[in-house]
Amino acid sequence: MSKLKLETKQRFEINSRLQKLITRSRELAVSGKRNLYTADEMQIAYHWSDKGHAIAPQSGEWVQREDRLSLGDHACRVDIGIDFPKLNEIPSRIDGYKADAESWGRDFAFLLEHSPAEIHPYESIVGEFHWEMNEIRKYDFGPEVRELGKKARQAGAGGTSHGHTCPDFSIGITQGWGGILERINKNLAKYERLINPNKVTYLKGAKHVCEAIIKYIMNYAEKAFELASGEKDEEQKALYKRIGECCKNIAVNPPSTFYEGVQWIQFAVMTDRMVGHGNGYGRIDQYLYPLYKNDIENGRLTREEARIYLVEMFLKLRGQFFCLGGRKRDGSDATNEVSWVVMEAYDMIDDYNNLGVMWHEDMDKEFYAYVCDVLVRHGAGVPSLVNYDLIVDSELRSGVSEDDAWNVAYSGCQWYCIPGKEYCDQDTNAVVMLDPFNRAIDRAIKENFTDFEQLYDCVIEEFKRTCEVLCEFKDAQYNMLPKVWPEVVTSLNCHGTIERGLDMTDARGVDYQYTSTNILGIPNVADSLYAIKKLVYEQKMYTLKEVRDAVANDWRGNEVMRIRFLNQDKYGNDLDTVDSLYVRLTDSIAEVMDNLRNNRGQQYRASLFQFQGHTCVNTFGATPDGRYASEPLAHGCNPTAGRNKKGLVSTANSLAKAHNFKFIGGSLQIELQPKFFDGKENIWQYVRDFSLAYFRKGGMQINLNIIDLNLLKDAIEHPERPEYQNIIIKITGYTARFICLDRIFQEEFVGRQNYDG
Amino acid sequence: MNDSTAVLFDIYHGTTHDGPGMRTTFFFKGCPLNCLWCHNPEGIEFGQQIWWNHQKCIGCLLCMKSCANKAVTPDETGIHTDKEKCVLCGSCVNACPAEAMSFVARQWTLDELLNEALKDREFYKSFNGGVTASGGEPLVQHKFISKFFQELKQLGIHTALDTCGLAPEKAFEAVLPYTDCVLYDIKFVDSVLHQHYTGKQNTQIIKNFTNVINYKKEKNKELEIWIRTPLIPGSTATRENIGQISRYLAAGFKESIDRWELCTFNNLCVDKYKKLGRKWMYEGVPLMRENDANMLKDAAMQEGFPSEKLAVTGMILHE
Repeated sequence: MSKLKLETKQRFEINSRLQKLITRSRELAVSGKRNLYTADEMQIAYHWSDKGHAIAPQSGEWVQREDRLSLGDHACRVDIGIDFPKLNEIPSRIDGYKADAESWGRDFAFLLEHSPAEIHPYESIVGEFHWEMNEIRKYDFGPEVRELGKKARQAGAGGTSHGHTCPDFSIGITQGWGGILERINKNLAKYERLINPNKVTYLKGAKHVCEAIIKYIMNYAEKAFELASGEKDEEQKALYKRIGECCKNIAVNPPSTFYEGVQWIQFAVMTDRMVGHGNGYGRIDQYLYPLYKNDIENGRLTREEARIYLVEMFLKLRGQFFCLGGRKRDGSDATNEVSWVVMEAYDMIDDYNNLGVMWHEDMDKEFYAYVCDVLVRHGAGVPSLVNYDLIVDSELRSGVSEDDAWNVAYSGCQWYCIPGKEYCDQDTNAVVMLDPFNRAIDRAIKENFTDFEQLYDCVIEEFKRTCEVLCEFKDAQYNMLPKVWPEVVTSLNCHGTIERGLDMTDARGVDYQYTSTNILGIPNVADSLYAIKKLVYEQKMYTLKEVRDAVANDWRGNEVMRIRFLNQDKYGNDLDTVDSLYVRLTDSIAEVMDNLRNNRGQQYRASLFQFQGHTCVNTFGATPDGRYASEPLAHGCNPTAGRNKKGLVSTANSLAKAHNFKFIGGSLQIELQPKFFDGKENIWQYVRDFSLAYFRKGGMQINLNIIDLNLLKDAIEHPERPEYQNIIIKITGYTARFICLDRIFQEEFVGRQNYDG
Repeated sequence: MNDSTAVLFDIYHGTTHDGPGMRTTFFFKGCPLNCLWCHNPEGIEFGQQIWWNHQKCIGCLLCMKSCANKAVTPDETGIHTDKEKCVLCGSCVNACPAEAMSFVARQWTLDELLNEALKDREFYKSFNGGVTASGGEPLVQHKFISKFFQELKQLGIHTALDTCGLAPEKAFEAVLPYTDCVLYDIKFVDSVLHQHYTGKQNTQIIKNFTNVINYKKEKNKELEIWIRTPLIPGSTATRENIGQISRYLAAGFKESIDRWELCTFNNLCVDKYKKLGRKWMYEGVPLMRENDANMLKDAAMQEGFPSEKLAVTGMILHE
């Protein structure tokens, strides 16, 4: 028998109070109450679906419950299976819907007002919610956008805009909600005096939201005092009182202790997630450090207490995206004691988490060693390892100023963001590269292209055409966005939004408003082009029409031909023959995107990642790389599963050949069997040294799972078995409890058998 | 043999079992020994061979149709190549769409091999690794290896020679000056057993070994010496044998030796024998248990070899 995971020893002792919280958190997850859903395969592939009249991609609530696909226990909210009870009393349904921030803010305030304060025994960090805005408020861009959406889909693109940015919590944590409200009031008065009704409307919306958050936190304070007064157990009574004092203070004031700081983040993230989107929450070790340092110096806090507060927050928030490390403004290492404590908190409980560590050459070596040790011992892809200097370069290349770029935060699956200054549609738009590729094949046949270069140029031309249609669609969406779905909550912790009276989604609401686009299927198109180049244009063994017909037929009756196409050199084996075509293709994609502007005058950026589109088997046809329609595509910039046969180092070399700084993310996804490490001493050192070499070669991000995929197959059929209850994996850019995933995602995952010993 | 090209049967990138750190291992073809357990049977013959992979074959028979000498014939057990008739022209290899028929060996120029080595340079740096010449017995092509290592040293890349020890003395003399680490196989001290299991006595191997040790001492060279003993159930993997090797090493060489690896048996090569159409007597033999491997390590320690230089490596049976 081999092992499902490496055997690990518990580093930190867990007391009985914490054990109760862990047990409850796991029960919620295993029973499906933390699941996040997506609509259908079309939504996953194109980030836009025709299904339904509107888009609520984060909850999938508008799809029939039985049709939706579970992305795993990814949700911040606790799903209690019932609709918002006051659905018919929502202000926009009573007083009439208006597409503006004020109407939006009123609905949000109503949602908060009727979301009960829930405090459970044994907790010191509190806060839970059940309903999100996209279930209660219309999220409809109207017929024009819908039509353009269909047009984009037909061209091979899609997208939506919903968060996927990163607020700057250093604002709220130093000003408090009261401080933010004061700024809103001041600017509201200014714009009233200057008679600017649009800005007045926006700031009234912001005021509703900010006041509602204050009131919501006050409700928790009241609830805690009420529970305290009825509590007999002295210890629990004290805990309730402490919660009450904390909430009472941070409702308005900035947090004054580390404990209050963690609770402040808990509420800030919760209220942000109640909008229903996928934001990241930035450099937690940086904005929490002053509170930590102050408490430690004054003897008010121990490292262990700090660790436990963070554990509690992780258990409740489902490990939202936070990041650690990176550099300070002066270029020195930003790692501090909070970086350690956050890492230790994950180490303590394992479980669901999405931390990222931003490595650079000057990072505290001891800390990075610990990071690799944690990654290996838990084997669940936590944390993601990210090349800080490269993502800074990527931001600089887009045009982010030096003064901002250093503060970049790894914020989601593969993406990063300048906290509080970006609204860039990270991870929400897609181009399916197969679509322009297939159109180019059709044209090559019709127009009788005689050499490969003509075909290549045509692929890029068709890709450009797809992007232009996407651009038209996105512009129409952007025009509607600040009215239909302003990000009022997130904008409270942004730079300049309140002063400008503009939402971050509005033109110039924040400084950086690039349009990021995930490109799906680049390795498949590179491999296909290479096989066509060899077998059609060089060896003239087949005509392009024969290739198209065979592929259209899913290779039926053409097995010899398929095998020939399959056995051409493939991307991911460090073969310059085909890798150079991959690099050329990525460069061409970047060039097209560089020359495309959104209606904010800011450029498009491609990402070498697409979070789950590759799993959509049978959504796309077969491809000339020898792939059947029923096989998954390549995930992001990784080779198609099973095509890389020369081992991990060769695959890493292939990925590192691309000019990765031209893209907004692209992660090397690695699944290793525990037996991979048989006979290797110091596994963490292997991971450290591997990551250092990969990063120095220009690699961007590493997601590493250590799990026996063969044994894990059994969990698909027997999710009830105790040994599978807490198996957590980094599925693509995010982690999930394996048994909570939809079957299509599970099957794709266990099929990733790429690296032997 | 043309000295500026070499015959190889494989290159592995990112290996961690063939010397210090992470390495690229180059497998040179040809070996004077014929060990019963050989894990690279395709590396024994120096000359070219064609082999057939039953797992890749799709049964299209294009190989048979392409062969002008009618050397390729199918039957219910697979595709067979008649060695008498085959002239190694490669028409079957070219015809095969599935890469099931393939040449075992490939000629490489020095530049091509250096290019392969340089691909992984960043990994050598972070892992303190480098290049290993293995085989087969790399010293069969010692003139090439000597040049190859010389070039690698100029590029600042660490070199390791993985040798069975059976080679002319001049072969060692040509390669050692550019070698940072020698991985020296000692399978048996007993020459009769050596003859029985490997086909050759170990007289020359032992002589070369003392030469290597003396070379290290005389030149005062920073030459790392790793001893490797494959733990083969029923032959090398006995307390007596390991104890005997330990006594031999401890008696005269322990200061000069940096590490002694006991490499557990694995059966990863079973398909190679099938591809070559050969029977392998170790086919059904299971992996070693951790306890059994550790017992042999204890035997080595008890007979005087320093424990801090001893390591068990390779696959073990997980129960």
